[in-house]
Amino acid sequence: MNDVCVVGTGTTEFGVREEGIVELGVTAVGRALRSCDVDREDVDALYLGNFVAGMLEGQETLAPLVADSVGLVGVPTMKTEGACASSGIAFRQAYQAIRTGIHDVVVVTGVERMTSAETSEFTRALGSAADHGTDGATGLTFPGFYGLVLDRYMHEYGATREQVAAVSVKNRRNGASNPRARFRSPVTVEDVVDSRLVADPLRLYDCCPAADGAAAVVLASADVADSYTDAPIPVLGSGHATGRSAAYRYDDLTTLEATTLAAEEAYDEANISPSDVDVVELHDCFSAAEIGDSEDLGFFEKGEGAAAVAEGRTAVDGELPINPSGGLLAKGHPVGATGIGQIYEVCLQLLGEHENQVDGAEVGLAHNLGGSGAVSTVTVLGGPSRV
Amino acid sequence: MSESPPRFPATRCADCGHLYGHEAYICRECGSETFAEAPLDGTGTVYARTTIRVPGSDQQGEEPFEVAVVDVGGEETVRVTARLEENPELGPDDPVEFVDRRDGVFYFRAA
Ligand SMILES: [Zn+2]
Repeated sequence: MNDVCVVGTGTTEFGVREEGIVELGVTAVGRALRSCDVDREDVDALYLGNFVAGMLEGQETLAPLVADSVGLVGVPTMKTEGACASSGIAFRQAYQAIRTGIHDVVVVTGVERMTSAETSEFTRALGSAADHGTDGATGLTFPGFYGLVLDRYMHEYGATREQVAAVSVKNRRNGASNPRARFRSPVTVEDVVDSRLVADPLRLYDCCPAADGAAAVVLASADVADSYTDAPIPVLGSGHATGRSAAYRYDDLTTLEATTLAAEEAYDEANISPSDVDVVELHDCFSAAEIGDSEDLGFFEKGEGAAAVAEGRTAVDGELPINPSGGLLAKGHPVGATGIGQIYEVCLQLLGEHENQVDGAEVGLAHNLGGSGAVSTVTVLGGPSRV
Repeated sequence: MSESPPRFPATRCADCGHLYGHEAYICRECGSETFAEAPLDGTGTVYARTTIRVPGSDQQGEEPFEVAVVDVGGEETVRVTARLEENPELGPDDPVEFVDRRDGVFYFRAA
């Protein structure tokens, strides 16, 4: 098995963008290629994660289209789809192709354009990530799914609405200093608990905003990585698992096993435990999701995640900084771009170049989740000294 | 307390006996494609509940409405995703009863 490194990164800002879907993808890929010394002739493949371009833009065949537009004619390309985990899956596939020796250099990108869609088209497209025949037929939305999760979580563990609101407060504070974020203004606990109900007990400021954007990385086999960059970021471990695809399928709605299984695989491969992680970007599509994720990833005992946030333990200067980028709650959630966007933020941390830098970050983790807990990828990355 | 609610239309794998609330195409336990009707006691409890105030495109105008995960049955239970007839007070562990199934959706109300 070959070791694999991130040798280049690129992104657009996340937010309301004027560019078309192809331009967004090409911009991120172009920036990733320019950030390192990879020639186009060295690229063996391009993998692209996207969720709703077919439905919202009427544009499919995105992977070859982006590849052709950046001058990568001839290489194999593919699109991966797993709702919000679409580009986490693309990363995983590229990683495995290099690890098993099929390719040496693969470009991975995630792209999405959502904000220009009509509301009805947008909600229909997002709703397609639920099981139409069961959850979908009742009218359960994604905020609704996490409303159910939070309802049960508060019932079982006694977490308070104010503790949960602390997630949005922290992430909006972090996002205020991230130039890639859609929301750049902080909010208070009162702002969150007074915002309008969306899916009880979740309120507007518990929910991430839609966004447009793209992010890209260049992955290379470790034996060639140093010819492309002085600071390769090794992929220490990777996990990818399927969970449940509808709310009724869970015995315990407060644990999404796609995450626990993907994390277990990634930790095993990296030969680390959760306590070895220095910085985390996890899938905070809703405040309730961040709390559950932080427990599913093994950072806190069941039921302690909400108090941990409220106590500041996950702040940038806390014992385990979670979402120093501002996460999805502040950066926004360009669904198919989110997974690579998280990996981009973790890479900046490991290079010591992040706007909200975590002191001495040597091991970083990115966690991507799609659908009603249906699919998850977990990626553990190390600082350049760990190659 | 109302009169005893209608039976809940569960199905049972004809080969291994596993119970299903929502339809299964093959049995998750044994792979069988054969199912038999196995109506259950229509009483149940709420496992988790939310009120949808911003609906998806197919439910525009119905908001607010309540969706819950419900454990239904007596000695044997199945877990289903269902609508609750309007009652924002219902929460985890509260008793509910089956009303009917309309357009493929199970409806429950406070018991
Ligand atoms: Zn069976």
